[in-house]
Amino acid sequence: MNTIAVSAEDNPAGHPLPRLLGGQSSWQGRFEAMASPCEILADGVTREYAERALAYAAKEAWRLEQKFSRYVSGNPVDRINRSRGEPVTVDEEMALMLDYAAQCHDLSDGRFDITSGVLRRAWRFDGSDNLPEHEHTSALLKLVGWNRLSWQGPQLTLPAGMEIDFGGIGKEYAVDRVLLGLKRSLPEGGSVLVNFGGDLACSGPRTNGKAWIVGMEDHQKLSDSSETLSLHGGALATSGDSRRYLLKNGVRYSHILDPHTGWPVPDAPHSVTVAAPTCTLAGMLATFAMLQGAEAERFLEQQDVQFWVQR
Amino acid sequence: MQLNNNSNSSSKSRPVGRALAAATCALLGVQATGSLAKGQPGEWDVETALLVYSEADDRVQAAEPVISATRNFDGERKLNLKLVADTLTGASPSGATPSELPQTFTTPSGNGSYQIAPREAPLDDTFKDTRVAISTNWEAPINRDYAYSLGAYGSREYDYISTAVNGTLSRYLDNKNTTLTGGLSLGLDLVDPVGGAPVGLSRMPLSNNKSQADFDQEFAATRESDDSKTVIDALFGVTQVINRQMLMQFTYGLSYSSGYLTDPYKILSVIDDASGANYGGNLIGDDGNPVYLYEQRPDTRLKQSLYWQTKYMLGNGDIVDGSYRFMIDDWGITSHTLDLKYRWRLGKSYLEPHVRYYLQSEADFYKRYLTASEYNAGAPVMTEASADYRLGEMTGLTFGAKWGYRFDDDRELAVRAEYLTQTNDGDQGFGSLASQDLYPDTNAMWLQLSYSF
Amino acid sequence: MPDSHLFYRSRRQTRNALTLATFLTATVLTAGCSNLGVKPWERDLLADPDMQLTVSGVDAGLDDHIYFSKEASSGGRGFGGGGCGCN
Repeated sequence: MNTIAVSAEDNPAGHPLPRLLGGQSSWQGRFEAMASPCEILADGVTREYAERALAYAAKEAWRLEQKFSRYVSGNPVDRINRSRGEPVTVDEEMALMLDYAAQCHDLSDGRFDITSGVLRRAWRFDGSDNLPEHEHTSALLKLVGWNRLSWQGPQLTLPAGMEIDFGGIGKEYAVDRVLLGLKRSLPEGGSVLVNFGGDLACSGPRTNGKAWIVGMEDHQKLSDSSETLSLHGGALATSGDSRRYLLKNGVRYSHILDPHTGWPVPDAPHSVTVAAPTCTLAGMLATFAMLQGAEAERFLEQQDVQFWVQR
Repeated sequence: MQLNNNSNSSSKSRPVGRALAAATCALLGVQATGSLAKGQPGEWDVETALLVYSEADDRVQAAEPVISATRNFDGERKLNLKLVADTLTGASPSGATPSELPQTFTTPSGNGSYQIAPREAPLDDTFKDTRVAISTNWEAPINRDYAYSLGAYGSREYDYISTAVNGTLSRYLDNKNTTLTGGLSLGLDLVDPVGGAPVGLSRMPLSNNKSQADFDQEFAATRESDDSKTVIDALFGVTQVINRQMLMQFTYGLSYSSGYLTDPYKILSVIDDASGANYGGNLIGDDGNPVYLYEQRPDTRLKQSLYWQTKYMLGNGDIVDGSYRFMIDDWGITSHTLDLKYRWRLGKSYLEPHVRYYLQSEADFYKRYLTASEYNAGAPVMTEASADYRLGEMTGLTFGAKWGYRFDDDRELAVRAEYLTQTNDGDQGFGSLASQDLYPDTNAMWLQLSYSF
Repeated sequence: MPDSHLFYRSRRQTRNALTLATFLTATVLTAGCSNLGVKPWERDLLADPDMQLTVSGVDAGLDDHIYFSKEASSGGRGFGGGGCGCN
């Protein structure tokens, strides 16, 4: 095992340095980002490539974490959230993200809304039975709604008090970005899998033509995978509430909130896993499914994708 | 009742999945069709083809191999290189008229002559050539709203060199629903005809009835020095997405050429219009030979064109492609071109029938022949005249079809066949000339085999 | 004198040309961009490679060259594509 050197500039959050394990052209790189354990698996490549790939993946993941996180003071998202109604000019990558958020808002009939993050002030999903007051959630609803802001590329105008939160897109987008970057330099016969906390994508089957074996978390056990999936290509993403929920009077309140009501979507599944060509798409389909509540399975059946729903 | 509800929700959900996939691809910058094979950075997309062209009645035959390679780079930048060779053999009309008597013409080099039988269309078949052309084009975005392209072209055949550079600038509006494009092209051609460029409207020397020395002298006297031609093209275009299934393009083009625009190998017959036995026959000159003049075109030409194209995808996935081009120039030519294609998509293969209709009016200086009065014993009353049928009144109809098979996202094999019939019209002549066929049809067929990978 | 009655004198042709140009320009301008176009996620059909305005550059180049050497017109969609001694 060796540690990959990354400069402080590329690692502003001060994460532990990435570590590379493995040998004989089969490698496993690990690091932390976006509050998740991240790994890069590479098959049919040299140690040099694996080290370079791991360094690139960590840097890119940390870059995106810094850019899209709402906790980093002074970053684009923070500047937007503190703009107090003044227009903010964003760069190309942020503009594409905002366009995407707009489209997802539209396609989900408003259920997917990156301005709904302020509702977390009322909701703390710690497994307890502390439900918020309706007055509190109603007051916060006044600060929620994509239609309340003005997005006219490249300028975003966010009314005072509102916030945007890319939590629902960021991790899956990072997986796809890193994978696209690795695919560009992937040598002939090599294959790579990028896994950020269960949201993953691969460049194709392993070198010997075999599939990547992925473990699936079972919500009732909360640890130790039982079911496994064979992945030959494409991506997997999971939307789930395994550790974030409230339980009162036998009713489970998932952390998927409906921005129209400010309350959790009723009858949402415990978790939805979707397989799709890209991680961002898989993640968004899973999120859309969760937002459908009881209709999650029917929605996914009509999308012509492979999916697993746990209730 | 329940059936209705189901279809309502399903018709709402299905577009969501596809639309979401398209949106995601826009975010990640990959092709929306999900086919990441073509257009991937770092790969060459190559298209190769072989065209075989043949005209009826022993006229032009050509074979043309092409190879076009495109390399894609990050950020939607791409470089294209194209190489074309064409080998041409066969004869084309010289512009002279057929006659009751056999005719003899001097070859362009002045070193020989060829005979045409009575009533036969005068075709000059000393026209064998190989041309090689290479072109390159670079496209790249400048920022979210602007993109540009730069291109260069060069071709060479034994009597002609052509070079050009071009550039375009495009502006995207309204979420790339509208694209405005402006472009400029500058070209320089060098003309070095076999035997030297003939002096316009001078008499073609014929070796019969005179000594070689006299002929040589006469030939040298009708020569001009090498010449060149400059071409400036400008275009302004709008591409507009109409709706989910339809795309349109409007282009206005301007082209100004200046320099040597004449065809050095084309001639006009001078027809005797004096009443008597030779009325309508070739005018006989002082040396006892018929009089033929080398043609002369103006030394500038300004063309303007309006082009409109629509692509429409039907509910079943088939695609209709229609276009109309209107051209007008200061030579007095107006033309209309109507083109229609229908692509039947059948799984991995497609069949695309095609029809093209073309209508052209004659140039102001187009003359099927000159009369003796117009020739005026060597001091012609006009400064320009050409009998080139391609500047005359013409109707062209092309029928064709293309069949292609796609092995996968990268590889495609295709076969295309087209059949063209051109008919011409104009002045029908007088006297004995009126009984000749002055406007034979042109029938051509071409077959193309292509393979892309 | 041409027998054909399909073509008129140059002046009328010029008038026709101007009328056509004005009509097309007016159509484009009045159509505007407001009600035309699609949202970015509705580009699925337009992204199909067969929906490009020129599907095969090679086919277009070969045909353009043939028609350039057989007719008096050239270009339209883009630039002439390079000269040759054939016209």
